[in-house]
Amino acid sequence: MSLFDKYAPLKARVDIMMKMGRDALGVEFDDILGTTRGRIGNREIILAGTNNYLGLTFDEDCMAAAVDGITRHGTGTTGSRIANGTYAEHVDLEKSLAEHLGMPSCIVFTTGYQTNLSAISGLAGDKDVIFIDGDAHACIIDGTRLTGASTIRFRHNSPEDLDKRLRRQGEIEGGHALVVIEGLYSMFGDVAPVDEFIDVTHRHGGYLFIDEAHSYGVFGPTGCGIAEQQGVLDKVDFISGTFSKSLASVGGFCASRHSEFELLRKVMRPYMFTASATPSNICAALAAVEKVKTGGHLRDNLAARAKQLHSGLSEMGFDLCSDASPIIAVRRPNEAVAAMEWNWLLENGVYVNLAVPPGTPQSSSLLRISLSAAHTEADINAILTAFKSMKAAQGQMMQDMSAALSA
Amino acid sequence: MTSPAPESIFEKIKELLKPYNPQNRPILLHSGIMSDLEVDSVAVFDLVMGLEDFYDISIPMEMVSDIKTVGELVNAVKQLTSE
Repeated sequence: MSLFDKYAPLKARVDIMMKMGRDALGVEFDDILGTTRGRIGNREIILAGTNNYLGLTFDEDCMAAAVDGITRHGTGTTGSRIANGTYAEHVDLEKSLAEHLGMPSCIVFTTGYQTNLSAISGLAGDKDVIFIDGDAHACIIDGTRLTGASTIRFRHNSPEDLDKRLRRQGEIEGGHALVVIEGLYSMFGDVAPVDEFIDVTHRHGGYLFIDEAHSYGVFGPTGCGIAEQQGVLDKVDFISGTFSKSLASVGGFCASRHSEFELLRKVMRPYMFTASATPSNICAALAAVEKVKTGGHLRDNLAARAKQLHSGLSEMGFDLCSDASPIIAVRRPNEAVAAMEWNWLLENGVYVNLAVPPGTPQSSSLLRISLSAAHTEADINAILTAFKSMKAAQGQMMQDMSAALSA
Repeated sequence: MTSPAPESIFEKIKELLKPYNPQNRPILLHSGIMSDLEVDSVAVFDLVMGLEDFYDISIPMEMVSDIKTVGELVNAVKQLTSE
């Protein structure tokens, strides 16, 4: 018996995937050529799975800000903010995001994952009850695990189901309800009815936490996200986001309309006991926030490209998981077919994400596409052509898969 | 509401497990939900939601994490419906 024996079923799945081609969860690019292009071997690849929604990773101002951050303050912070101090750029970014969101408090974190881990574990105490959406991201689930609070799931995107569960819970003695939702869900690309969730949550005396990781920068007149788009940003209690998508960097933030949120800097273990974000990451994100505020043209192009791809794939008869958004998930019949097609697309110059259970809702197997404002109409046509050719090559692919699996 | 008998809870769980058991593996009280029946973690929570709605109870996630077998799930439902 080995320590690793428990992973035998996982190894069997990985072995099958490797027989069909590459490791979809460990793709190695030999070069990143630009916002929407990578290179593997001699092949140029269209990047359609990188969550680079506003296409700012190669923006001249963001890159210059990152370089300037290194030049002025070095490559690393060498420690946490509670033990080693806060840099001016951390404060500048917190002020900029707080101002953008119209909230008195904002705290920045080193990664997006750590943001929800920190905020949720800090906000919920032993007597509180956390209610999370049925399709909640892993970082939300893991955040609840760091608390002593009881955690209850409600049906995905259903304010009615949340209402039922809050009623079933009744009065929470000595505690409060913390409801956690996401603006745009990362796998299916569907949008939450935030306005209805706020109404239900506040009617029961609870607090609403919304993760806008995939929607900050992308939705709303000034890019604050789905809550802004639905006109309820000022009613949201807590809003979190990441720097690694629209903000073209690495890190995350959580802002609140409650100024007492500042106290959590001395409570949140994943914030207190890890190194703070580097000057280059923070400075790049700070430059990107300014781009978000005035990025109406980027959001317009992103929406147009999403619509173009969504209607093109629909016309081909593909089963899509939601309406047009920068995340377009194509539902496939099973994991083996999805993996085979994912390989085919990569071999033919298009990188998307292979998403399989248990990381997906409804145990779905998906070809997940994320679009960028930097994608052109011609890029989308190329992606559509690849999907059309993939469909035409199904017969040959099936034969190849059978041969590979029996080898 | 009178607390249901463990046998009827077991029957309900078997019914709700059906869509997640395409290979028709025998569902016994000592069957491991994830280990024997190979129901993935997301599907387990969907199964739990079905039980919550049917019995009008809340089964918190921290309790679900400790449940490994069908019998343990029966006991958890029995306990929550008795409260």
